[in-house]
Amino acid sequence: MSRRRAGRVALAVLGAVHLAALGAGFLAPYAPLEQNRMLPYAPPTPLRFVDADGGFHLRPFVYALSEDALDEGRYEEDRGRAVPVRFLVHGAPYSIAGLTARVHLFGVEEPAGLFLLGTDGVGRDQLSRLLHGARLSLAAGLLATLLSLGLGWLLGTLAGFYGGWLDAIVMRGAELFLALPWLYLLFAVRAALPLHVSAAQAFLMVVLVIGLVDWARPARLVRGLVLSARERNYVLAARGFGASDLYLIRRHIAPQTVSLVLTQAALLVPQYILAEVTLSFLGLGVSEPAPSLGNMLAALQQYHVLVSYWWMWVPGLALVPVFLAYFALSQALPARGEPA
Amino acid sequence: MTRRLVRRAAHGLALLAGVSLLSFVLVELAPGDFFGEMRLDPRMSEATVRLLRERHGLDRPLHERYLRWAGSLLRGELGFSFAYGQPVAPLVWPRARNTLVLTATATALAWSVAVPLGVWWAARRRRAAGHALSALTALLLALPDLVLAFALLLLAVRTGWFPAGGMVSLGHEGMTAAGRLGDVLWHLALPATALVLGVLPVLLRHVRAAVAATLHEPFVLAARAHGVPEGRLLFRHVLPAAANPLVSLFGLSLAGLLSMSLLVEVVMSWPGLGPLMLEAILARDLHLVLGPVLASTLFLVCGNLLADVLLVAADPRIRAEEG
Amino acid sequence: MEAEGPLLRVRGLTKRYARRRGAEPVEALRGVDLTIARGGALALVGQSGSGKSTLARCLARLEEPSAGEVWFEGVDLLALRGRSLRPFRARLQLVLQDSAAALDPRLTAADIVGEPLEVAGRGGRRERRRRALELMESVGIPSAWSARRPRELSGGQRQRLALARALALEPRLLILDEAFTGLDASVQAQIACLLEDLRARHGLTFLYISHDLALVAALADEAAVLYEGRIVEQGTPFRLFAEARHPHTRALAAAATFLPAATEAWP
Repeated sequence: MSRRRAGRVALAVLGAVHLAALGAGFLAPYAPLEQNRMLPYAPPTPLRFVDADGGFHLRPFVYALSEDALDEGRYEEDRGRAVPVRFLVHGAPYSIAGLTARVHLFGVEEPAGLFLLGTDGVGRDQLSRLLHGARLSLAAGLLATLLSLGLGWLLGTLAGFYGGWLDAIVMRGAELFLALPWLYLLFAVRAALPLHVSAAQAFLMVVLVIGLVDWARPARLVRGLVLSARERNYVLAARGFGASDLYLIRRHIAPQTVSLVLTQAALLVPQYILAEVTLSFLGLGVSEPAPSLGNMLAALQQYHVLVSYWWMWVPGLALVPVFLAYFALSQALPARGEPA
Repeated sequence: MTRRLVRRAAHGLALLAGVSLLSFVLVELAPGDFFGEMRLDPRMSEATVRLLRERHGLDRPLHERYLRWAGSLLRGELGFSFAYGQPVAPLVWPRARNTLVLTATATALAWSVAVPLGVWWAARRRRAAGHALSALTALLLALPDLVLAFALLLLAVRTGWFPAGGMVSLGHEGMTAAGRLGDVLWHLALPATALVLGVLPVLLRHVRAAVAATLHEPFVLAARAHGVPEGRLLFRHVLPAAANPLVSLFGLSLAGLLSMSLLVEVVMSWPGLGPLMLEAILARDLHLVLGPVLASTLFLVCGNLLADVLLVAADPRIRAEEG
Repeated sequence: MEAEGPLLRVRGLTKRYARRRGAEPVEALRGVDLTIARGGALALVGQSGSGKSTLARCLARLEEPSAGEVWFEGVDLLALRGRSLRPFRARLQLVLQDSAAALDPRLTAADIVGEPLEVAGRGGRRERRRRALELMESVGIPSAWSARRPRELSGGQRQRLALARALALEPRLLILDEAFTGLDASVQAQIACLLEDLRARHGLTFLYISHDLALVAALADEAAVLYEGRIVEQGTPFRLFAEARHPHTRALAAAATFLPAATEAWP
């Protein structure tokens, strides 16, 4: 598959993933915080089309689960009653674009449960948590990239264009920030902030910390580009007509940095998503009960979860196609400096 | 050559000083401190907390605290840990040693696999093998380190071939020297594998890119025309010419030796700097947090310096430039 | 502003570049004196490194001279800055060498030619475009090519485009830095005819900068030889060829190429 084509496929995949994340409230059958204490670590509910008597149903259905009285931790299905899956059902409220809605794409009636990806230790639906957690982790990655690239681009352009003491200050600063191991600096800055914060505050904090720590790398690259662009004869010619600095940057120099910035974005977003996941996993990011791909994976640190409950791995595995897509995207974008 | 080195070393020292200031300020910027958590405990009286803070100098202005800490750095104590009630340095060095054992092994392994494999990959004329390797590295790259570490842990638990964590077994002290070495290696296997698999894709791609670029140079064509056998051509002629970007990359590898393994250490219970730092953050034991940060920066500066030296030694063109 | 008197008068122009670590500064220009009459054409000839391009940039205020005076239409050019310099920028235009690098590869021909008008804020979009097409036609580029990019044009066409751009603000003085370099002989002849034509039509004053004496000899009334930042000889091009006094002039004359058609005009 050619690079261009792979890039387009990647873009489609990312679009679909982000759309799903945005519509988490609608797509998820349950609220992410909703617990079912009677059903801890329930395996994924199988969707059936053929019932116990051999009858075929067009509409998929499930059986209600209950804990096996004799063997704790195992579940058995109540084959007596087939509970159909309904679409566009009324469920737990969620907010979307500032409004509150209650309609979910699909669901089943109580007491049956539709846990397509199983439940966790307190019986929360993993699929719902995955969707909401993905929304958070993906958004964190994107916003942090925006911050880091925005800051890096601004400082790099100013440093490269004006040179002199401004350049010296920015470059020394960049060197300082680059000298610190990125992850450690992240932790150190995180250590500086209060430990117990609300989910929204934690999210904001994570974004800020990641974005502000890593401005140096894009800044250096942009600066190099701006330095060489500044010396081009057409820039000098435009100066000869009396063009102002702002005009030169806007018209001639900034457009040259676009492909570099885009390639950097495709490389940085997955890194930042991973950084958020790592922070949340270690308990330094978004913490329980709000779902983040990171804190969902923290469950794997328990022996019995690691060994017996395979569905708890999904939050980690779900990242693989996303990262592959970003990788393909970064390969498909033209190398820096080349015309589109 | 030495003048350049001296200049770089001085530059590195200035960098360390700057970093110490930057990280100190960043970390101290926080509202609250180690004893703030204590306030929540109803058994602790306000007066006791205040006394403790005073004793440790937490009520002093920022610059005074920094100077005290910097002084402690120069004395080699690296500050004072509130949680452990002792200087930070004796806590950090043994952990740093453990981390280095892990990362040095992993880095050496990764490079010794990446270089020959990368050269082979770049020289591949047939498409199929190259594409397969491409897909494999892309997959590895996309797999989060966290998941990889857990997968290896699962392997250990299920098969019992490897220990599920830690650096030494019980009764390690009683083993012979060879036995102790073997014990550590046995525990090292999985964490090192996790690290190697984590960095290998990136290294491979860089080696391949560097070698592929050199393969197009006219001197390679000339050597082939002279009938130089492929193997010799690749390793005696092409690789040294392609070494320049790789040496810088190696320097970066060295620079990251203390910080690359944090996650793996936490997941696999390797007693290195990672878990120590995590613990310090959760306890808000700020000096203990800063210790590893500084140690890591020291490594980074030394790594860059070494890379610089290697670059000059390896590339005759730079030597000529220096005159 | 004087109505009479030379258009450009340069006295003692000096440019020094500082070097690192306290080494001696490099003197690119050492007290250059020049005069160009209104409607005249002066050729400044010298090897690479003689300071020709530095002089051009200093005159266009793309670099600041270290010392000296520049009088343009009787006004002290070096005393002007920022706002007050703006109107004079329009009157003194520089066409840089290497047209490929002098044109932004991302812009279309019409955009490039219209850029000075855009920067100076003259006229609306439609007016600027009309003027740009007009200018293109005047240098012999069909207006139908307005959407072409520089890489789609030949060297000679790019040079014409650069010229059209320089004419946009209706300058009095046109400085051409190595306008013929990199073009083959027939194209050079075409450009030379174009320049003559423009001079006659618009009453422009020219300063030609080149390393090749013969190329500019046909176009200039006067020629000056620049050597290591100093003017070492001056006179009519013919005299410089025939009776070169300074050894450097003789070297330049020997290295010159010839435009057959142009030399027919010589006495």
